[in-house]
Amino acid sequence: MIEFSRHRLENGLDIILYPDYSTPMVAMDICYHVGAKHENPHRTGFAHLFEHLMFGGTKNIPDYDIPLQLAGGENNAYTTNDLTNYYLTVPKDNLETAFWLESDRMLELDFSEKSLNVQKNVVIEEFKQRNLNQPYGDVWALLRELAYTKHPYRWTTIGKEISHIADASLQEVKDFFYRFYAPNNAALVLSGNIDKDRCLQLADKWFGSIPKRDVRQTDLPVEPEQTEFRELTVTRKVPDTALYLAFRMSDRRSREYYVCDLISDVLSSGNSSRLYRKLVQEEQLFTELDAYISGDHDPGLFVVSGKLNKGVSIDVAQKAVWIELNKTKQDPVDSRELEKVKNKLEANHVYAQMGYLNMAQELATYENIDRAEMMNDQLDWYRSITAEEIRETAQKIFRKENCSQLNYMAQ
Amino acid sequence: MSINRTIAPALHPIGKPDLVRPEKHVLKNGIPVYALKAGKQEVCKIDFVFNAGVWYQPKQLLASLTNAMLQEGTAKYTAAEIAELFDFHGAYLQCTADYHYATISVITLDKHIGKLLPVVEDMLKASVFPEKEFNNLLNRRKQRFMLEMEKVKILCQKKFSQVLFGEGHPYALGLKAEDFENVCLDDFVDFYNTHYHAQNCELHLAGQFTDKVIQQLDHHFGGDDWNGTPVETPQFHAQPQTNKRERVHKEGAIQSAIRLGKLLVDKQHPDYFGLQILVTILGGYFSSRLMLNIREDKGYTYGIGANFINLNREGYLLIATEVDKSYEEATLKEITFEIERLQNEPVPQDELERVRQYLTGEFLRDFDGAFALGQAFRNLHDFGLDYSFYDNYHQAILSITAEQLQQLAKQYLQTDSLYTVVAGQ
Repeated sequence: MIEFSRHRLENGLDIILYPDYSTPMVAMDICYHVGAKHENPHRTGFAHLFEHLMFGGTKNIPDYDIPLQLAGGENNAYTTNDLTNYYLTVPKDNLETAFWLESDRMLELDFSEKSLNVQKNVVIEEFKQRNLNQPYGDVWALLRELAYTKHPYRWTTIGKEISHIADASLQEVKDFFYRFYAPNNAALVLSGNIDKDRCLQLADKWFGSIPKRDVRQTDLPVEPEQTEFRELTVTRKVPDTALYLAFRMSDRRSREYYVCDLISDVLSSGNSSRLYRKLVQEEQLFTELDAYISGDHDPGLFVVSGKLNKGVSIDVAQKAVWIELNKTKQDPVDSRELEKVKNKLEANHVYAQMGYLNMAQELATYENIDRAEMMNDQLDWYRSITAEEIRETAQKIFRKENCSQLNYMAQ
Repeated sequence: MSINRTIAPALHPIGKPDLVRPEKHVLKNGIPVYALKAGKQEVCKIDFVFNAGVWYQPKQLLASLTNAMLQEGTAKYTAAEIAELFDFHGAYLQCTADYHYATISVITLDKHIGKLLPVVEDMLKASVFPEKEFNNLLNRRKQRFMLEMEKVKILCQKKFSQVLFGEGHPYALGLKAEDFENVCLDDFVDFYNTHYHAQNCELHLAGQFTDKVIQQLDHHFGGDDWNGTPVETPQFHAQPQTNKRERVHKEGAIQSAIRLGKLLVDKQHPDYFGLQILVTILGGYFSSRLMLNIREDKGYTYGIGANFINLNREGYLLIATEVDKSYEEATLKEITFEIERLQNEPVPQDELERVRQYLTGEFLRDFDGAFALGQAFRNLHDFGLDYSFYDNYHQAILSITAEQLQQLAKQYLQTDSLYTVVAGQ
C-alpha cells in the first residue's frame, strides 16, 4: 500500500503528498493535463514545443534554471500524447525555491519572440536527431498514421512535420498557455522528505493566489471502429527488415487495458516469454521481437514489433506471429504462466517504490489518467484476471480486421 | 495577502549526504563480499564481478559474448529454465561486460534470493555453451552492431576512441563486422574457464537483505570446487595519434556528430577535483556555457555536453553534440570560443557560486538510494580509493577559486591539444 494524502486548493489545484524519509531530497512534479492530443492538426508538436518555452523565464523571474541551481536543484520535463509533466528535485531545506519557481510559471510566462525562435530551432534539431537521422526513426509516425484516422493519436508528440513547429506564432503560444495552463488543469505531487503541514502552507502561499482559468476541455474526435485490415509497406535505408502489427484496444481505465497488459507480458516479458522462446530462440525467424501496449489514456494500441532474421520474408514472419497470437485465442494460459506474469508485476510494483522521483512521476501519471489512488488498485486488478478472460480478450483484439500492419523493408 | 514574487525565498546550506558504507565479509575460499545495507524496500542486488572485461580479451567479442552465454545453458539448467526461474520470481538477471569487468547481476525481492542462487552457481561453475544458442546470439549481436553503425554518434565515438587511445588499446572501440565471422566457440569456452573462477571474483551486495544471505553465498560460492589461476592484468598504454582532426563520412546523414577531447589526469591526481568542476562549468549541467551558448542562444542543437570521464586506467575530456550539417563549423567555433574564455577570464563569482550549489546538490542526488550507494562504493573501490575521496571532493567544491579554475583551463585545455572528430555527410 502506497501511503499518500490528497488535498485541493480553492483554485482547483490538486495536491498529492507522498512522504519517503529514506532520502534527504524532495521531488516536485507538476503535471498539466494537456498533451499532443489537444493540438490543432495544423500545429502538431505544439504541446512539446510549449514545454520548451516553459523554461524561458517569467516577468518576475527572468531565468528559471539559475535560482534552482542555486538551491542545489535539478529539473526536466516531458510531453506525451496525454500530458505534460515537469519535475525537479531539490534538497529538502530549499523546497520553497521550487514552490516559488513553479508557481510563477503557472501564473504567467514572459512570452518572448527570441525565446520562441531559439526553441523552435532546438526542437527542430531534436526532431532531426530523434526521427530523421535515426534508423527506424519514423516508425511511430507511420504506424500512428495507419492505425488512426480521426483521433489525434494519429500524430506523434514531436509533431507531424517540421513546418508545424517552424510556423508557430507567439500569439498561438499565449493562447495555448491561457487555455491549458491553469491550477484547475494541473496536479502538484510532492514526494520524498516532506512535512505535510509545511507543504500545504507553502502550496497555499505560492499557488493559492493563481486565478482559476477557463479551461475548455473539448471532446476529442472519437476514432471509429476499425473494420478492415490495413497494410503499409515502406523501404528505408536500414540494416534489417522490421514488422509491426498494431491492434486497436481499449482505454487506460477499462478492465480490458489490464488484460491486454497481461497478454503482452505472456507474449514478451522476459526471456522465458512465448515470442522470445519460440520465434527468436527456437525458430530464429526474428532477432528481436516484442509485444507491448502503447499505454495511451484514450483507446490505444497493442503492438507486436520485431526485426526479421536475414533471409526471412515478411509473409513467413507475420504468419509465425499470428500462430502465437492465435494460441492465446484458443487455449487458456496455464496457471503457472499466469502466476509468473502476475508475480513480475508485483515485484515491479515494489521496485518502482525505490525512487522518490519515480514515485512522484507515477502518482502524477495516475492523477492525469484519473486519480492517483488508482496506483494502489493496480495489483488487485491484475490479480483478479483469469485465464478465461485473457482468452476472451485475445479473441476480441487479435482479429485481422482490427490490425494495421507496417512492413518496414531494408533497402 | 499578496506576495512579492520577484524576491527569491531564502536559501539554506545544503547538507552532506550520509554515506552508508558496505560491510566486508570473506567467503571460505577467500572471495570478498562487500555488503551494503540500505533502503526501505526489501529488494536486493547481488553483483558477481570478474576481471573479465574487454581489457582481458585477446580477441574481439570474447568478453561480451562469454558473459552473455552464461544464461544460455548450464549442466543443470537449459536457457529456457534459467529464464523461467528468474521471470517466475519477478527477478532480473543482467549480464554485462564493460572495459574491465564482466558482471552477473541479480536484482530480486529479498525473499527469493535462496531460489535463484543455485542457478547462478551453475552458470558460474558449469555453463555449457550450446552451439545453437551461441550462433543465434552471435547473429543477433551482429545485426545489432550493423544497426549501430548506421548512427553518426556511434561512428564518431568509435573513431574518437581510436584517435585518443590508439588502435588496439582496450579503450579504443575497434569492433568490426568481420570480427563476427572468424570466431571459434572453443575460444569462448577457454575464456570462461580461465576467467570465471573463485580467484578472479568479487561479490557486491546492495539493498535490504537478511544476514542469512552471507551464509547462503558461502554455501554456493565459498567452496574450493571452482578454483583457478589468478588472472594477470595485461599492460596497455594510450597512444594518441598525432593528427588532431578526423572526419568520418556517413552518406545521407542530416546531422553531424561531433566529439572533442583529450586525455586528462586520473582520479588520484591533485588536479582531478578542479578539472571536474571546470568541465562542469564548460558543459556539465543545463546552464553550462556550451548549453547556454550553443543551444539556448544559437539553437544549433538539441543538446551539448562536456564530461570528464574516468575509466580505471585513464581519464579524458569528452565534448559531444549532434548538429545539422550546416551548423557544424559554427558549432566548432563556439566550442573553441567557450574554452578560450575559460582561459582568458576568471569565472565570475555568481556563476561559480551557482556551480558550487548545483554540485553540492548533485552530491546528495548521486548518493541517494541503495543501488547508488553501492555504485558510489565501486567508484572508490575499483580505483583503489577510500571514502576520504568524497570528503576531499566536497571540500574542493566549496573552496575552489576562480583563479585556480582559470589556471587549470590554461594548463589542460589548450585548444590545440584537443582532438576533434566529426561524423556526417
